[in-house]
Amino acid sequence: MKFRCERDTLADAVATAYRAVASRTGALPVLAGLLLRLQPNEVELVGSDLELTIRVRVPAEVDGVGSAVLVARLLQELMSRLAAGAVRVEIGEDQAKIEAGRFRSEVRTLAASDFPRLPEAEGEGVKVAAGPLAQGLRQVVPAASKDDARPILTGVLIAATADGVRLVATDSYRLAVRDLPGLNLLGEGRSVLVGAKGLSELQRLLPTEGEVEVFLGERQVTFRLDGTELTARLVEGEFPNYQQLVPSGYPNRLTVQRDALADAVNRVRLVGGQNRDSSPIRLAMSAEGLELSATAQDVGQSYEPVEAKYEGTELTVAFNSQFLLDGLEATGSSELVIESVDPLKPAVLRASDTSDFLYLLMPVRIA
Amino acid sequence: MSVAPADAAILHVDLDAFYASVEQHADPSLVGRPVVVGGLGARGVVAAASYEARRFGIQSAMPMARARRACPDAVFLAPRFDAYQDASRAVMAILHSYTPLVEPISLDEAFLDARGARRLHGTGADIGMAIRARVRSDTGLVASVGVATTKMLAKIASDLAKPDGMLTVTPGTELDFLHPLDVSRLWGVGPATRRRLDRLAVRTIADLAALPEPALQRALGHAHGAHLHALAHNIDERGVEPDRQAKSIGHEETFPTDVTDRARLDRDLTRFAERVATRLRAHATVARTVQIKARYADFRTVTRSRTLREPTDLADDLARVGRELLAELPLGDGLRLLGLSAHQLLAVAELQPALPFDDDDPGAGSRRADLERTIDDVRRRFGDEAVGRAARSAPPRGKPA
Repeated sequence: MKFRCERDTLADAVATAYRAVASRTGALPVLAGLLLRLQPNEVELVGSDLELTIRVRVPAEVDGVGSAVLVARLLQELMSRLAAGAVRVEIGEDQAKIEAGRFRSEVRTLAASDFPRLPEAEGEGVKVAAGPLAQGLRQVVPAASKDDARPILTGVLIAATADGVRLVATDSYRLAVRDLPGLNLLGEGRSVLVGAKGLSELQRLLPTEGEVEVFLGERQVTFRLDGTELTARLVEGEFPNYQQLVPSGYPNRLTVQRDALADAVNRVRLVGGQNRDSSPIRLAMSAEGLELSATAQDVGQSYEPVEAKYEGTELTVAFNSQFLLDGLEATGSSELVIESVDPLKPAVLRASDTSDFLYLLMPVRIA
Repeated sequence: MSVAPADAAILHVDLDAFYASVEQHADPSLVGRPVVVGGLGARGVVAAASYEARRFGIQSAMPMARARRACPDAVFLAPRFDAYQDASRAVMAILHSYTPLVEPISLDEAFLDARGARRLHGTGADIGMAIRARVRSDTGLVASVGVATTKMLAKIASDLAKPDGMLTVTPGTELDFLHPLDVSRLWGVGPATRRRLDRLAVRTIADLAALPEPALQRALGHAHGAHLHALAHNIDERGVEPDRQAKSIGHEETFPTDVTDRARLDRDLTRFAERVATRLRAHATVARTVQIKARYADFRTVTRSRTLREPTDLADDLARVGRELLAELPLGDGLRLLGLSAHQLLAVAELQPALPFDDDDPGAGSRRADLERTIDDVRRRFGDEAVGRAARSAPPRGKPA
């Protein structure tokens, strides 16, 4: 069996499916490969690490049907370096011939029979707007934990609300909450936990316009787009009770321009050198406004006043600078509000004009 | 190619027979006599021996009983760590007066990068001589110094210079100096590696350098082989790191008799945890990993470690994990040594506290921390025995231990 496809089309598809390929294959070496399924007039490429599966269909001239698994990394690197034009792939018993222009390659294939059974979309599909979902994911997903030792926190909570869904993620140091009214993804009262890695890939795939069809099964959720399907296994377990963390009101309120603050944080934290991501940045808030400062032992200090409006008692609170920048980025709005209680209690970042997103951040102890 | 500095200005300063020398300086009647510092009980081990004692074959890590037999007339002393710490601080202060680039390795050993100090203080060898003179005049201790273009060579040179000497490896002659030496002079060549190299007929560093790298890697493993191959060609790119923090903080004790009583071992771990936690807090440091070390009656030594979800500086946390690790360990014929140490240390300033989720009582952590800090304070003012935990005390009399 063989197929012929345009390099640009194939390269995009390979790159997309490759994002689900396991970085560590462990017990199942075939997961280092991309499954190619040849069907009449199209080729489907599938990458999977068992948690996440991405399937992409591309139009192709196909001769013969069947499946083969090619080493994903090689294919991905090759596609990015081939010149534009036709790519021909001929699949034999245990090797594949790849030809493009004057380039030729014969590579060993992996056993297609070892490739795990492909997840099929379960349940009834629900169509929702892709743009708002992508925006919500962009705001919330970075707050999820990357520590596999805490599986529940590597998931994003998707919970039905009265008029839509709410997305919540936390790595236990910060918490991001986004309400998406009108996005009726789930039945009333339902909530699921979906791995942040899969959702982050979904967010890259989602178009700004149009719709995505969502199939929620018992153990998995599938997002179907034009020609591409992403299936993520649900994370099992109970998401921590985050609601009690968010107080109804805060005595201290700082209003500041987001870009001005982010630029100043980026300058002031430089003194932290290699540790600047985790180095604390102090926010001294008073009637005069805001002064940022950072101190690095044996290196020095930096300061910068930032124009801001402050209502409340004089207060200095310190945050991990990267977590603060992540929050500023996620909040999105040009003007934002930082609300705080005292230097030891969680502070809230939110846009000054909407209340559909909030970012809760635990301060760092300052000596 | 080595990126070694062109001039010999890396110094390794090593105090001779450090603990014993401090004792001899503190009590002039001990000068010229064999002095042995270490555990004095039946199971004690020699921590340091003066050169007078070494003439009788006494070495550090030797059982104290053997040392007593080797030289019954020696002066045997229990260690006084406070005095050694003070002496070490005085020596390190002298080193810092030549350059800020001082990397302390232990109480009695440090590397210096004196490249930037040469305009003020002369060549590396000049600085080495000046340091030796000042250590002697200011502290009464004897420092041996190695001067070379790399850390490894400086360390080997100071070893060869001992006692009371200095050795400079002139740039350009590094391999002439290194190659005739026994392979065991290299870092990373312990008894096991030594035996494997012996099978390849490798005895000197020249033999090692002559061996192709792949052959060495097959014999010793990829990373270790590559590492030794580089060292044998004097490729040692590690710089002097002044800020190198302690990698771990721990406490261990050798028991007078082998211990099989788990309750007793748990109490010991609790006590060790308090000492370790106090030192963590004194260094404004928290630990992410707790390790226990157990040595059996037959000297077999095992370690077990566990990484915590949140880093801690609290004795409670260290002790709890330590006891869990011990519970999973068979005791066999009993333990002759038990230790607890804290690893993966982080400065408190870098510590990010967690949001107060309600799955644990939000105030509990800070209340325990307050309690332990109060204990630190009481002990500072009234001494270590002024306050302790109930779990540390022996069970009440009348109950089986």
